[in-house]
Amino acid sequence: MDGIIDFFDLNLFKAVLRMATPLVFAAMGGLLSERSGIMNIALEGLMLSGAFAAVVGTYYLHNPWWGLLVALIVGGLTALIHAFWSIGLRSDQIVTGTAINLLAAGTTVFLIQRIWAQSGRTPTVQKLPDVAAQVNVLVPIAFLCVPIVYFFLKSSKLGLRVMACGEHPQAAESVGINVSLLRYGMVMMSGVFAAAAGAFLTIGSLGLFTRDMTAGRGFIALAAVIFGNWMPFGTLAACILFAGAQAFQIQAQTKGIGISADLLLALPYVLTIIAIAGVVRGSRAPAGLGQHPTPN
Amino acid sequence: MVNGRVSRRTFVGASIAAPALATMPFAMGGVAAQDGIVATMVTDTAGLGDQNFNDATNAGGQVAAEEFGAEWKVIESIDAAAYVPNLTAAAEQGQLVVATGFLLTAAVESVGAQFPDVYFTLIDSFVDLPNVQSVLFNEHQAAFLTGVAAGLTTATNKLGIIGGERIPPVIRYEVGFRAGVAAVNPDAEVLVAYVDSFGDPETGKEFALAQYNDGADIVFPIAGLTGIGGYQAVAELNNPGEQWILGADISQEHLAPGFELAVCRKGVDTSAYRAVKQVVEGSFGAGLNQLGLGDAPVGFDNPDVGVGFEDPNGRVADDVKAVVADYQAQIAASTLVVPANDEEFESHMAGTPVPAPAG
Repeated sequence: MDGIIDFFDLNLFKAVLRMATPLVFAAMGGLLSERSGIMNIALEGLMLSGAFAAVVGTYYLHNPWWGLLVALIVGGLTALIHAFWSIGLRSDQIVTGTAINLLAAGTTVFLIQRIWAQSGRTPTVQKLPDVAAQVNVLVPIAFLCVPIVYFFLKSSKLGLRVMACGEHPQAAESVGINVSLLRYGMVMMSGVFAAAAGAFLTIGSLGLFTRDMTAGRGFIALAAVIFGNWMPFGTLAACILFAGAQAFQIQAQTKGIGISADLLLALPYVLTIIAIAGVVRGSRAPAGLGQHPTPN
Repeated sequence: MVNGRVSRRTFVGASIAAPALATMPFAMGGVAAQDGIVATMVTDTAGLGDQNFNDATNAGGQVAAEEFGAEWKVIESIDAAAYVPNLTAAAEQGQLVVATGFLLTAAVESVGAQFPDVYFTLIDSFVDLPNVQSVLFNEHQAAFLTGVAAGLTTATNKLGIIGGERIPPVIRYEVGFRAGVAAVNPDAEVLVAYVDSFGDPETGKEFALAQYNDGADIVFPIAGLTGIGGYQAVAELNNPGEQWILGADISQEHLAPGFELAVCRKGVDTSAYRAVKQVVEGSFGAGLNQLGLGDAPVGFDNPDVGVGFEDPNGRVADDVKAVVADYQAQIAASTLVVPANDEEFESHMAGTPVPAPAG
């Protein structure tokens, strides 16, 4: 019994919150974009550009809060590219999302070289304050975003219109909703949220940017949206599940509970497969996902 | 969109192609060539900026290029699929290709056979080709000494190892360190954890926090870029003099000033230097190059010394250093053979001495 209490301690709880934070931010962004009908596999790249912009902003403006603002703006503008490609030009949304991911991976590495004349890593910058030991201020903000997104979609006029765009863009257009404008807005918001996720990794945790540091978190956030059935609280639960599996894996290796490390490393992924195969059978994507309001 | 429908498709094409171009590997200009020797380093996926393995190799190559008037270039590998094309590009443009890391073994094997007139230096792995120099290090010897120092320094009797991936060079570090700790402090516990990535510092930080929170007071990240997270963790916990971090390959003190207890030095930089030097002098030594502890510290003056225990900031107590020196002498005299893999570690811990390698 002592062993169990020792295993599930406050530090493990904090670790789950920390590891869920970037997933929650990015997943809320992905949720808004997909709910408006635009597929967004660009979360990874948007997150990466936000993570980098946060460091650049903090470096030049000498204040991590300004750095965060820069990150959110850059994230929104990067997402605007995705919006323009996929809404304005009606390109394949998977292809344009992939392009954003490649763009972010390439430009960040390139700009590190141009700005600091070094490779792959930025200098260390000041971080945002902690609200408790090893809990950055962005952690509670991330969790606060979930009810905000929930009430936005469920109770606000704008949110209901967004969902109409995602379910049946033709019908929404026919009653006078500007589908394209709303979708532009939501895709840009997904960039803002994903940038917050990236900013957490740099000015909320490590204090510096390293190449490809998002390490697939954008895709895990996207999986959380699907697993959470495109619902804010369901998505939150999925983020906590994924972060929990990872934290458990780390704690289990640290405490040496006698399970093969390879098995433990696979745990988060196995959980994802089980979850998606078993639980999400009733999952339904927005019906108008990837569709345009008028025929091509 | 002045040209209306004609330009739309072209624009989509161009705007999608642009980021793809941006991710193409780009070579960093080195020092101008005087006698035409071009040496190109191909990184593993951790890439430059890891403050560790790749950066050190790059630094060594630059020093050599400066000194011998060669040209040094770097091609970064964005993923494992880029190894073969990057090595091919490197082989086509010069006389020497330096492949950094165990992960490039298979790629060097195939590209090396296609370019028999180009010299390849493969660090951390072995490929049996007449034009390939395979540089292996006795990391376990330096890690043993680091373990001795850590085992005598720990106040909590708990130490941590954070590995990137469990590949042979990391295993040599791990078992050498554990054997060293056990030699001087059998009561100390060594937590061993693997992140399964050399490029995820955020997760590396979580591993380090978990180990420190569990009571480890000295953590040894052997994880490339991932290890940066360990330095961030010890700096954030901020218990100077109580919690320490150990450097692998090269010192990374600047990431957490005041917290790096010692460095388990591995001369990846000097081995890159050595390869360029040998090509310039026409004395390229193909085949297996096993570099271990020597009488001198790792440095460009003696590039045949592969590994060493270093205390650049004088943080290790003098009596501890005396014990380390004693063990170093035993290893040099082969009266102590440090285990280098799991089987040797088990027999070593069971009390059976590891036989000295033949030759």
